[in-house]
Amino acid sequence: MQKTERNLIMSDAASRLRRLTALILKGFLLLATAISLVAVLLIIAYITRDALPFFRLRGLGELFKSTAWYPSGHPAEFGALAIFFGTGLVTLGAILVAVPLGIAAAIALSDILPYRLRQTVKPVIEILAAIPSVAYGFFALVIFAPLLQNRGGSLLAIALWLIGLPLGLILIFVITEMATRSIREDVAGAARLILAAVLAVILIRGLLALSATLTALRIASGTNALNVSIILGIMALPTIVSVAEDSLQAAGRELREGSYALGATRAETLFKVIIPAAGSGIIAAVILGVMRAVGETMVVWMASGNAAQIPSPWFNFLSPVRTLTATIAGDMGEADQVTGSSRYHVLFALALCLLLTSFIANLASEWILRRQQRKLGGLK
Amino acid sequence: MKIFQTLLIITMAAGFLGAADANKITVDGSTTVGPIAKAFAEFYMKQHPGVNITVSESGSGNGAKSLINGSCQVATMSRIMKQNEYEAAVHSEVLPISFVVALDGIAMIVHPGNPIKALTMEQIKSIYIGTIKNWSQLGGPNVPIVIISRDTNSGTYETFETRVLKGEKIAKNCEYVGSSGAIRQRVQSTQAAIGYVGIGFIDNTVKALPVNGVSPSPETVKDGSYPIGRPLYMYTNDYPKMGSDLYLFVNLYLTKKGQEIIEETGFIPVTNY
Amino acid sequence: MKLASRKLFDRSLTGVSVMAVILMALSLLVLLGPIFSRGLGAFFFRATSEHRRLMLEQFNRGDQEEIAAETRAVTEARQPVYKMLANFEEELKNMEYVRRRGYNTQLKEVKDLLRELLGPLPGELEAVMLRQQYGQTRWDRSLVKLGQFLYIEQWDYSDPSQMGKKFLAPRQRSFAGTQLEPLFPYLKNNLGKMLQPRFVFYWRFLTDVSLDSHFFGGIWPEILGTIYLTLGAMLFAIPFGIIAAIYLSEFAGGGRLVSMLRVCISTLAGVPSIVFGLFGLAFFINTLHLSSSKSVLAGSATLALLILPTIIRSAEEALKAVPHAYKEAALSLGASQLRMVLTVLLPAALPGILTGIIISMGRAAGETAPIIFTAAVSVGQPLKLWETLSQPTPALPWNIYNLATEHQAVDEIRHVQYGMVLTLVLLVLLLNLAAIMIRARISKKMRG
Repeated sequence: MQKTERNLIMSDAASRLRRLTALILKGFLLLATAISLVAVLLIIAYITRDALPFFRLRGLGELFKSTAWYPSGHPAEFGALAIFFGTGLVTLGAILVAVPLGIAAAIALSDILPYRLRQTVKPVIEILAAIPSVAYGFFALVIFAPLLQNRGGSLLAIALWLIGLPLGLILIFVITEMATRSIREDVAGAARLILAAVLAVILIRGLLALSATLTALRIASGTNALNVSIILGIMALPTIVSVAEDSLQAAGRELREGSYALGATRAETLFKVIIPAAGSGIIAAVILGVMRAVGETMVVWMASGNAAQIPSPWFNFLSPVRTLTATIAGDMGEADQVTGSSRYHVLFALALCLLLTSFIANLASEWILRRQQRKLGGLK
Repeated sequence: MKIFQTLLIITMAAGFLGAADANKITVDGSTTVGPIAKAFAEFYMKQHPGVNITVSESGSGNGAKSLINGSCQVATMSRIMKQNEYEAAVHSEVLPISFVVALDGIAMIVHPGNPIKALTMEQIKSIYIGTIKNWSQLGGPNVPIVIISRDTNSGTYETFETRVLKGEKIAKNCEYVGSSGAIRQRVQSTQAAIGYVGIGFIDNTVKALPVNGVSPSPETVKDGSYPIGRPLYMYTNDYPKMGSDLYLFVNLYLTKKGQEIIEETGFIPVTNY
Repeated sequence: MKLASRKLFDRSLTGVSVMAVILMALSLLVLLGPIFSRGLGAFFFRATSEHRRLMLEQFNRGDQEEIAAETRAVTEARQPVYKMLANFEEELKNMEYVRRRGYNTQLKEVKDLLRELLGPLPGELEAVMLRQQYGQTRWDRSLVKLGQFLYIEQWDYSDPSQMGKKFLAPRQRSFAGTQLEPLFPYLKNNLGKMLQPRFVFYWRFLTDVSLDSHFFGGIWPEILGTIYLTLGAMLFAIPFGIIAAIYLSEFAGGGRLVSMLRVCISTLAGVPSIVFGLFGLAFFINTLHLSSSKSVLAGSATLALLILPTIIRSAEEALKAVPHAYKEAALSLGASQLRMVLTVLLPAALPGILTGIIISMGRAAGETAPIIFTAAVSVGQPLKLWETLSQPTPALPWNIYNLATEHQAVDEIRHVQYGMVLTLVLLVLLLNLAAIMIRARISKKMRG
């Protein structure tokens, strides 16, 4: 009956073998995981290696200070200041569109909408995030650009009313509140009404005048910074909304309940308690949205006009601009060392700038998010 | 995971087995010559099934580079190879042989609603370098000119720069697009725009202006009276082996059907077939 | 602040935030609306007899006798048109030179338009290019061409302060008093008989090759190319991604190496897609020489790098979400860690991992910038499996860009462009829907 008696304790040799295989396995897994490390290092190495010769050939100043971008001219000039500006301008535009919308939507999702509506809105955000960028670019070029060109003035006027009216009303409200704070209670009501009426008349008059000038505006070219900014804003929206919403949720029920218990309305809770608590998360969301806008290629290549100029005045969104990503995509055929020259290396120099920006932005947003987790985690 | 590994091994084995697929021709280069290359490719593939001809249109400069790099067999270019490209080719032991498959002219196009009737070379140059900024300076309405140009890796751009701009720099507010088709699209939808395309891209949605009094047409390009005429090239690495698919493909332009195709795409065949 | 104002503030915040959500939904509608409606036009449209003739002659599809009978009927309806043309040309011969010259250019325009509408005129040599061998295959395009035929677009330059204004002049007037004049009302009234439009559901748009630079036919090479690229990217990324996720969630300590690895993964996630394309060209094609020219292999490798971080992240989350009880039970029964991972952890986390994989597939299918210079061409045959290792392929995202900007006749093939965009968007949305459904099933399982 010796056979049925099993040895429940492993022999020394078997145990050593087990541990050895576990170690080898761990090493193998580590190696496979390190692929991502290798990939990142390779990318940074290749881009840097081919970008440095440009700086050796042309120095550091020209790329960042000059606006003359003539890579195939005789003599060739590589002033990319206008291109950096173009990226900055469309990113600014995208942020102006996406941040107010995104934070408002995040507030709606985390605090205001009931559960069932929230479940219907989440797919909308996921679909917006999932649509391929070339479909956005197609829309921007084929549908939006002609619209802007032919009816741009009226569209801008409508947008002005849509945004200006609510904002104006809120402003009137705030102003009347602040102005009548020190007046006696019984007169205050009447005073507020009169002030509000006067301000409202001014608002309507102003909006009418502005919209008249806008409607008369002739947009020369539908592929411009405005077109790209709006589309990029819509593309960055899902990122901002989901990260901001996560941050707002992470602030926790206790904070909210405490605030409500003290008698605050929902809006006061949000503005005075929740948003300050989730503030860093919202900043991280904005940074991620910026990264999305900066790194987008197809939309800007198709619909920004690709003119390497700094618009005059600098905030003229209706003029075409050129971005870093579109320059790289457009000239990428030069990325061949065969006839290697400054033209080939400058593309890598631009890519290096993009890479460094996204690297820094990434680190910043991660650090902020981790800090917020620690801060809020400690409150729990 | 095991499934993926087995799939990978099978694919690689199949790949090695099928590695001897000499029946592929890669064509890369100009967007102007693109329609001709695509039509030739389809015509040839119909006659010789089993050959896969792929066509990319990323610009004449890229075509040259791919040829020198060895990543394409035929480089379509709307300009002649530059000196540094020849040098790089020789350096990489590539011998570029050129075939002029068609003739073309660079036409200046404007929106049909533009009242301007003709331009001189001087005026075109002034428009593009920014001295003339408004259509009113040319007798038209008071609308700022929207100048559109090809991207810098384009053969059409290089020809335009050499022959019309004579080396001067384009104004900074010029919009750049990636292909002749894109220029035509922008011009047809923008009233204040002006651009330049190959003759094959003119249709009734844009207006081609006479330059120095001569209208762009097959006849004027052929007899040289149109000032911006140019040949369209196909380059190969060394003369293709006689009787091979590559040989038959690049010599399509000499056959009657080939020249019909060139004419039907809107360009000018080299002979009077 | 008084209570009323505080309440007002609260209400307005509610209003503003709900408006933001509505605006978001509206923008989605504005974006997808035209794409869906015009994209469906590539599949559902009124097809003319030319379309059916093309299907028969090029794709061997359709009833030969039916189409022969239809061709006879159509030719009969067109006879008067050609007769009027012939009579007019006779009349021209007997006209004096000056008048004749005036009519000649206009006649050429009329004949060109007729050729585009109805196909080659009788007695002409057969053209080589396919687009000249057939008339209009779609009824909506035919109506557009009819409009161009009946009216000349002319421009009124009389106002010197503005660009010319378009107005339409009936072409009939230019031919007043000639034999060609009755052609115009005849064509207008009988175009239906000459083209016989009928509704068709051209679902084979998805499986037909494209003919003559996408003038006719379907988008199969592009769809196949996208499938190859996506599957190839998955093939490269999934093994490495899952292994990395397993290591990070199970085997890794908290050391500096591990945190550096995590930093690298999130850096990879933030790299712009065009930089991936540049890297793919410089590394996979120019350095490693994975293939002599562009190829699906190089494109897949580049795409794999792009989606690797996403797969690692979602797989890690799925692994972490498995309850500790499962793992501890397995370990307490004496299983080694490897065995526990393979037999307990992975199967439990599989739905979550699958969700992440499917969403990454959607992302890989839609990316353009990485494949521009590593794998995509404008025109090519659908590849066989072994050819993918060395040959490039058309792909949906790249060809959308190509057809919308570079094509020679962009307006003629608008429906193809919209069809491609619709196909790509639907593909990505279906993948996401599958992922959502899987996720819903997991959350139900986890809750119940």
